[in-house]
Amino acid sequence: MTFDFTLILLSGAVVAAASGLVGSFLILRRMTLLSDALSHVALPGIALGIIFKFAPIWGGLLALFVGTVLIWLIETKTKLATESVTGVLFVTALALGALLIPEQDLLEAFFGNVEKITFDQIIFQTIIAILIIAFVLKFLKPLTLFSIAPDLATSFKISPVKMQLLLLIVIALTITIGIGFVGVLLISALSIIPAATARNLGSRFKTFLMLSVVLAIAALEAGLIISKFTAVNPGVASVLVSAFLFALSLFVKRK
Amino acid sequence: MNQNYLLKVKNLSVQMDDHKIIDYVSFEVRPQEVLAVIGPNGAGKTVLLKALLNLLPRTKGEVVWAPEAKIGYLPQRFHVDSYLPMRAKEFLNLSPAHSRSIEEAIELVQLDKKLLNKNLANLSGGELQKILIAWTLLDKPNILLFDEPTENVDVIGQASIYTLLHQLQDVLGMAMIIISHDLQVVYRYASKVVCLNQKMLCEGLPHDVLTTQMLSELYGDHAFFHHHHFDHRHLDHHDSGRKQT
Repeated sequence: MTFDFTLILLSGAVVAAASGLVGSFLILRRMTLLSDALSHVALPGIALGIIFKFAPIWGGLLALFVGTVLIWLIETKTKLATESVTGVLFVTALALGALLIPEQDLLEAFFGNVEKITFDQIIFQTIIAILIIAFVLKFLKPLTLFSIAPDLATSFKISPVKMQLLLLIVIALTITIGIGFVGVLLISALSIIPAATARNLGSRFKTFLMLSVVLAIAALEAGLIISKFTAVNPGVASVLVSAFLFALSLFVKRK
Repeated sequence: MNQNYLLKVKNLSVQMDDHKIIDYVSFEVRPQEVLAVIGPNGAGKTVLLKALLNLLPRTKGEVVWAPEAKIGYLPQRFHVDSYLPMRAKEFLNLSPAHSRSIEEAIELVQLDKKLLNKNLANLSGGELQKILIAWTLLDKPNILLFDEPTENVDVIGQASIYTLLHQLQDVLGMAMIIISHDLQVVYRYASKVVCLNQKMLCEGLPHDVLTTQMLSELYGDHAFFHHHHFDHRHLDHHDSGRKQT
């Protein structure tokens, strides 16, 4: 049990680091609501996992992949407003999920259940998290430029359309690996709140990224530890810790 | 292609959603030449620049860049989120181009090096635009494409940017394609002008082709407004205020 918990804490730290890092770009690119909406798309996939008795994370991944491609196609190939379509997609997915997932499992899907994370899942999550971090660091400059000034990013010879798809895939993967810890409804808080807090505190870009990562790790670890000793759900605890830190950051005046 | 041309455009047309945005546009740009593209709002000027940069999918006609052409592009819009945590130096460091040092580029655009340690969000609109020009200079371009910001940039700031571009063109010998709907900019700085309103209505030396008849055809009644508009620019202020976002 203790060994398991140590593993959970370690994996949680890596997953949170990836979430915080990706979250910084969501904030810069103003995609926070899109990622929040996207996370709900995982629900019908999780339902498939529960119904057909395979690990819900795979179903979630599949559903997110479909959702990502849908959003990207809608953004690039149609004249529909992305905002409204993601809005429609997200409530529909939520309703479908609620319809298909048995009631006793529903809360778990919404808010996560650390105790149900299997060893395989821990390994999978950690590896994907490391890959996400490596990807973002490798493409740090073009990703940053694309997020703050898409018109200038053309100097990297990467098409904005491809870049957007890559970013959406990274977001989908980040959501997938965090669902076990904090569930579908809270997942975006794992990446968005730390990044928003970091933006309040940092004036250099590097500081902003590092703070975002550190704050995400701190919030998830604190949540996991609080849940270990109390009856509070870890996802709920870490979101509240995160929100508290955000509130504190509002009182710090940025240089 | 004739060696003397940096850029040759022949019968360029761009369609978007079944609408013709620009139709059969042809012109050439030689080294050190300043070409002004003028036309009313919605005439397709920005689309033309993007088509030249091969950023648009549905184009017809020819856009031929000379092998020695090194293009710098200043987009029309660069909104800095007021909370963007990034210093000017960090921003310039994002560029993949290293032909010229950041310090040298900053000197060329006549900014104080101390500004490099300032946050982008704390720069004035004029300073920010100079940082963007410095960005393009990092690559040592020999042709600069400048899309004039039409909204939220004050008139005096724009005038000082044009003065700077003119000086840079003198010192570095760059060619330029400038989009503008300010005729005085054209008369002062351009060696050649293209009038655009979906179709190309004129091409040639500004004083030759910009007849009253051409201007009223291009702008309708607004031509007079544009002349009048210029008077404010004679005020000799040195920098613009903050760009509003």
